[in-house]
Order: sequence, then C-alpha cells, then structure tokens
Amino acid sequence: MLSNISLGKYYKADSILHRTDPRIKTLLYVVYLVVIFMIKSPIAIGALAGVILVQTIMAKVRPSVIWRTIRPVLPLSIFILILNILTIKQGNVIFEWKIITITDYGVGRAVLMAIRLVFLILSTSLMLTLTTTPLKIADALESLFAPLKLIKVPVHEMAMMMSIALRFIPTLIEETDKIMKAQVSRGADYDTGSFINRVKGYITVLIPLFVSSFRRAEELAVAMDARCYRGGEGRTKLNPLRIKSTDVLVGLFLTVCAAGLVVMDMSLR
Amino acid sequence: MGKGIGVEKISVQDVTFTYGSEGADVSAPAEPAVENLSLEIEKGSYTAILGANGSGKSTLAKLIDVIEVPDSGRIVVFGKDTADDSVFWQIRENSACVFQNPDNQIVGTIVEEDVAFGPENLGIKLPELRERVDQALKDVGIYELRLREASSLSGGQKQKLAIAGALAMRPEILILDEATAMLDPRSRDEFLAVCEDMRIKKGLTLITITHDMSEAMRCGRVIVMSNGNKAAEGTPAKIFADISLDQYGLRRPVAIRFAYEIARLAGATLTEEDLTGETRLREKLIKILTSPDLAEAEIPEKTADVTSKDRRKIMSVKDLFSSYDGGSTFALKNINLDIFEGEILGIVGESGCGKTTLISHMNSIIKPTSGEVEIYPEEGVTLRCSQKKDVQRIRQSVGLVFQYPEYQLFEETVYKDICYGLRKMKLTAEEQKDRAVKAAKSVGLAKDVLRKNPFELSGGQKRRAAMAGVLAMRPKILVLDEPASGLDPVGREEMFALIKSLREEGTTIVIVSHNMDEAAAYCDRICCIRNGEAVTAETPDKLFSDVEKLAKIGIDQPKITKFTNILKQELSKRLPGIDFETMQFDPVEEARAVYRAVLKAGQNYVK
Repeated sequence: MLSNISLGKYYKADSILHRTDPRIKTLLYVVYLVVIFMIKSPIAIGALAGVILVQTIMAKVRPSVIWRTIRPVLPLSIFILILNILTIKQGNVIFEWKIITITDYGVGRAVLMAIRLVFLILSTSLMLTLTTTPLKIADALESLFAPLKLIKVPVHEMAMMMSIALRFIPTLIEETDKIMKAQVSRGADYDTGSFINRVKGYITVLIPLFVSSFRRAEELAVAMDARCYRGGEGRTKLNPLRIKSTDVLVGLFLTVCAAGLVVMDMSLR
Repeated sequence: MGKGIGVEKISVQDVTFTYGSEGADVSAPAEPAVENLSLEIEKGSYTAILGANGSGKSTLAKLIDVIEVPDSGRIVVFGKDTADDSVFWQIRENSACVFQNPDNQIVGTIVEEDVAFGPENLGIKLPELRERVDQALKDVGIYELRLREASSLSGGQKQKLAIAGALAMRPEILILDEATAMLDPRSRDEFLAVCEDMRIKKGLTLITITHDMSEAMRCGRVIVMSNGNKAAEGTPAKIFADISLDQYGLRRPVAIRFAYEIARLAGATLTEEDLTGETRLREKLIKILTSPDLAEAEIPEKTADVTSKDRRKIMSVKDLFSSYDGGSTFALKNINLDIFEGEILGIVGESGCGKTTLISHMNSIIKPTSGEVEIYPEEGVTLRCSQKKDVQRIRQSVGLVFQYPEYQLFEETVYKDICYGLRKMKLTAEEQKDRAVKAAKSVGLAKDVLRKNPFELSGGQKRRAAMAGVLAMRPKILVLDEPASGLDPVGREEMFALIKSLREEGTTIVIVSHNMDEAAAYCDRICCIRNGEAVTAETPDKLFSDVEKLAKIGIDQPKITKFTNILKQELSKRLPGIDFETMQFDPVEEARAVYRAVLKAGQNYVK
C-alpha cells in the first residue's frame, strides 16, 4: 500500500551526482534552498526548472522515480495553492462571488508557493536522499558540523541517530503496510468516513507501529553494543570522505547555475 | 585474577542475573533470567544451547558477550574476567553475535557499509579495514552483493550479511542467537554451512541458541536450559538418549523419536552409541527389524484421515496473475487452486516465492491483475474478490492471520482488541461480547485474560489473542501465515493442536509455511509455490514420494521422510517383497507403519 513512495529513499545508480562528495552536495542543497525562495520571476523559475532537469540527468534518475517522489507532496502543494488563492486579497480582482475573492496577485503568489514546494522536494531528493546513502549524509553533516564539537555539541551522536532513522524508513514503511493490511482484513477502512474517524483509524495503525519501533530500537541497540559501538571516539571509516577534482567541478558548475538564476531574477524584476 | 581458570574455555561460575535490576524499576521485582548458573564451554567447540522460550538462553549469550553483566557470580572468557573493566572491551571485541531478526541488526544502508560497522568501531584503519570487509564478504559468499542496499536483500542474505559483519571483527567466539529461526530450510542449511565452515577455517568457538533439534544434532555438545538454569548437558546423543526433553519444552529430533518407537515396539533398547549419527541409527534399526525373532506387537491403527473428496468447494483461485507495479514482472503467474470445505490446505515454498501475495488475494487485500478468486461461503453464493460490492462479505468469510500477528495488537484490553473487527461489522454490544468470549475460549485464553492489556501477555498468549480477533468474525476460511514461527517446539505443537481443533469446529484452514515437517504432518493437501507459480495441490504422501518432481520444484522432503526412505530401501533389499504402507509424517505413526510392514513381510517370508 505504501511501497510506491520514493520520498526519502535512496536510488541506486552510478552517476556524477551519486559520486559527488556528500559535503558538497549538502552545501549545494543549502544554496538551492536559498535560490528557490529568492527568485520570483516566471522566467527565472522556468530556468530553475531547466537546472533541475540538468540535475536529474546528472543523477541518472528515471522520470518515473521523480514522479513517485513528487506525488506524495502534490496534495499538500494543491492545498497551499488553493489556500493562497483564497486568502490573498491584494492586487486586481479577477473573480468575485459572495465571500470568495480571487486576485491576479493572489493567483501568482499561490502558483509560486506551490511550485516552490515541489522544487524544494525535488532538489532535496536529487541533491541528497536519492543520490546519497543515509550514512553518507550523516558523514557529511558530521564533518560539516565538526567545529561544533568544540562547544560540546554531540555531533557524531546526532549524525548517527539521523543515519539510523533514515536507514529504518523502508523497514518502517514495510511494517506500516503490514499493520494496515491486517486491519483492513478485519474490516478497517482508512479512506472513507468523517475526518475524525479517519484520524482515529490511523491511530490504530500508529500504536502497534510505535510498540514495534521501540522493540526494534531495543534490539538494534543490543546489536550495536555487540558490535562494539562506543561513540565517535576512535572510529575509522571504510569510505572516508575525500574531495576530488570532479567534486569541485560539479560544485562550481551548480553554484554558477544558482548564481546565474539569482542574477537573472534580479535583472528581470 | 584467579589462577587455574583456563585460558582455553569460557567459564560461567554461579551466575545470577535479573533484567532491570539496576536503576529504578517500576514493576514488581522481576524473576531472575538466569540463576546460579555454572557451565563451561571449550575453546573451538561447537555448542548448542536448547531450552523453551524464556528459559534464559539468550540472556546467557548476552552475558558471554558482556552486553549484560552478572548481578553475582563471575564469567571468565578465555582467561579474562568480565567483571574486570580493563579487559571489558577485549572480551566484547573477541565475541560476535548474530541475532534472530535480520532487520534489527543491520546498521548500514549499503551492504559493505554495514560489514564495516564493527571494525570501524574497533578503530581498524585503512587499508586493513577494506581488506577485512572484502574478506568477510567473500567468506560468506555475498561479495558480489557488496554495493546493494541492505534492505533489498532476502532474509537468508541478510543473515549472511550479519555473519559477515561479525567475522569482519575477527572474533574468536561466534554466538548465533536463534539466528536461523526466521529462515526457510534451504537458507537455514546454507547459513549453518557457512558458520560451520568458518568455525573450522578460523578456529571459532561456535555457540548456537536454537529451537531446532536437527541443528542441535550437528553440534559437539548440547546444553539444555530450563528456568534460568542448566538442566542437562552432554553430547547430542547423550542428551537425546538420556533425559525426557519434554519437561523442558523440547522435543527429540524426528529420527530419534522414530527410532525409539521402533525400539519400544520390538522391546529393544537403544544405546547412546546408536544415536551418534543417522547412518549408525539406521544400521541399528535394520538390525532390530531384521532379527528373526522380531516381537509381535499390538499396534493401534491410525484413525483414517478425512479426505477432501466429495467435499464442497469453498474457494477457487482461477488463472490468477498478480504484479505489483502493473508491469511485466509477476509476483504470481497463472495460479489455479481449489480449496474444499473442512480441509487443512498447506501452501509451501521458499521465502519470497509469492505465498503471502497469494493469501492476500484470498480476502481481497490485493486485487488480481487478471484472473479471479471466488469464494463460496454457502451453497449457491459466489463472492468475487475483484468486485467491490463483495469485498466486505469476503473479509468476513475469509479470516487472515498474518505472520507475527501479536505485533499488530493495539487496544488497551485484549477484549477490545478482539472486538475490533466486530465493531467494524456494527454488531450489537451483546453479540460482540458473546462472540469475543467464545473466540477467546476457542483459542484457549482464560476469561481473566480478556481484561488484561495485550502487552502484558506472553508471546504465545499474544498470538492467541490476535488470532481470536480474527476468529470472532466467524470466518468460514481461516488463512494463517506461518502460525508457529518463533515458538518453541511445545508451543508449535500446541498451535497446531489449536488449528486442528478449529478445523473440527468446521473452519476450513489454509496454512502458509516453509516448514515441510509440519506441513506434511498437519495438512490434508499441500500446494507448492515456486517463483510465483503454483505447482500442485496434492496429498502429502503423494507429493513427498515423487523425489524427482520435488527436486524440480526445489522443495525438500520432510526430515522424517528423508530418514525413513533410506531405511525402507535397505529393508527392501533384506526383506524382498516387503510392502510399505502410505507414508506417515508423524515419526511415531511412521514407526508403527514401518513395523507393521516388516511384521507382515516376515510372515510372508516364513511362509
């Protein structure tokens, strides 16, 4: 039931973006995050779509996977679209009926917001989750935030927690699927009825899911203990992060693209 | 450190350990998991630890690996005391564990990242780290999978990954904590072969905690645990010859149960020597059975089993195809299968062959890609799984109990949980109560359990509670996915006794299993699934007598059949004209059948 969601899953491929140093990808991700929220002009947004397409090609991700990534956020995106259309009252009125007022500015903003959300998910997926294994993301964060260790922030522990959380996403999705199937076979119905009933229906899924997560956490802790895990001190790495010249090139190329987008947007305003 | 404690063994001396004894514990003082336990395990030996659920086996493993520290007593591993903080990490580095659930011990996303987790913790530097990871992956035979995502592996591959992760730490002790419990027979044999091979090549001390008696037969020594203490120890032959294992929640291996029944009928005795291997055991049995003065014995005839002939068809799977993505990869291909009222049908096959997908179609949780599943709850009524209007009635007619159903309980009381489906059926409160109480009774739950929180119950009770929740809906057909998995031998027997009693009450049963011994013993007919294709639905004796066909579908014979087939061949050579009855899959029944045949042949021979 839930197996068709790609959001947050690693996509195995051998591409330039897959091989790029995760720290560079993390930084690029932050850059694009800023860009997505900075640019406003339609042409620049079109150009951004072009850059994301280039990234998709660089990541060698199949279009069907891209679709599965976007699909779960579409309802939210549409919700934001409608909410913004209905609530923004600035600008010229293009439609008015009883309490509903739609303005040209409102529609523009609403579309922008909805597109931003989709682009946000896309760039997160392409830069990080689809092309980078959770352990590498954690490695990157650990390395990028390493200076914080000086002020006693448990950087390694946080990175480890994050990578384990990511590693268990597929497992928990599978588990949720099983629980839902078992309840459906006993007559549960998650898609009909009033909103409150539906929420109640999900609670019956969440309880066993929580219980089993605690059980898993306990077993995993024992297994990690047995494999001599004792924090970050003295740990070595099988694949230590090393920046190569191609990484620098990819970083430069995508940064230049991002800068180009901002300049284009500024000049068009 | 005390002198005289050998560096060549693991020595557990008068150890007591209670969970939650340190720190604030809200519940009443817990029973010790291990109490005054003393035992020794030689370096380089191969030891099985047997015992019922909750007998303290896993705790022992954790104590040896210093994951837990004893409350009193001491444990000395190869000369190092676990109470000595300065050698604590040395002991833990020296022993590695593989646990039961493969999903809950994988830390890394990618196979090689996971293997590296242990040695990384030890601070092994490159290039040695890389060398260790590659070597460990090659040792267990999954080197070519090193860049795969760990979650995409099969159960057997995941367990091999877990051994690779253990071996990469270069331990001297390898502990398998019910590591084979979730594997199908093939993966289990492969897994054990890898472990045994590593033991010999690397001189490992191998300790296996198991419910599987045939696994125990492979070991050099067996320790039986009961109530947190050692109940018996010795060679497998000694253990299986000497004591009555039943009182510890265990069962002898089938071949030995068979042999003891023959010996009992013939009035002969078996010695420890006879039990040291299957070949030797067979030789002894042939000697007993071919002796000229074989005792006549009063043998109770087995009550004839009900056959599925002349029974009403209750479900029919027709040309069923199923694919997950609507594409060309099919999880199920052209399945045709009829199920008759009142029978127990087994669906067997390796993990991932499509068994669970098939049963999900049976109550319309998955819709067929093409083909149909028809259910005939009553004469003249046809429900079709692909039709939306029938779905609700189908779900009431076909009850589905998934694997480990106890993990799906969610209400505050057992009673409420059992009533969940009934509430969805919108029954009146009295009707709900009546049905819930009856369902609880039919799975053998006492009335006071109904008021308890499901999470207070023991594992076996939880499973029964979850089954009651499905039974309360009064399904005509009950589909059970691996109903006995994770239970100890006595728990398994009780579960199948329960299933039989449900059948007596008129429920048609479908059991999914990868355990051929149980499928053969309890099912009226068995359907094999291989790579999404159904092979046959035949009676067990027919299915398991066709060796060639079995090899083709990749299914093993039950252990008892494997053992007696060779015995029967030998007997045929010595007693020409012997005519064996249809095979039985209960070792005692099979022993009686063989004995009867030998007696008959003997009479003919004399004449």
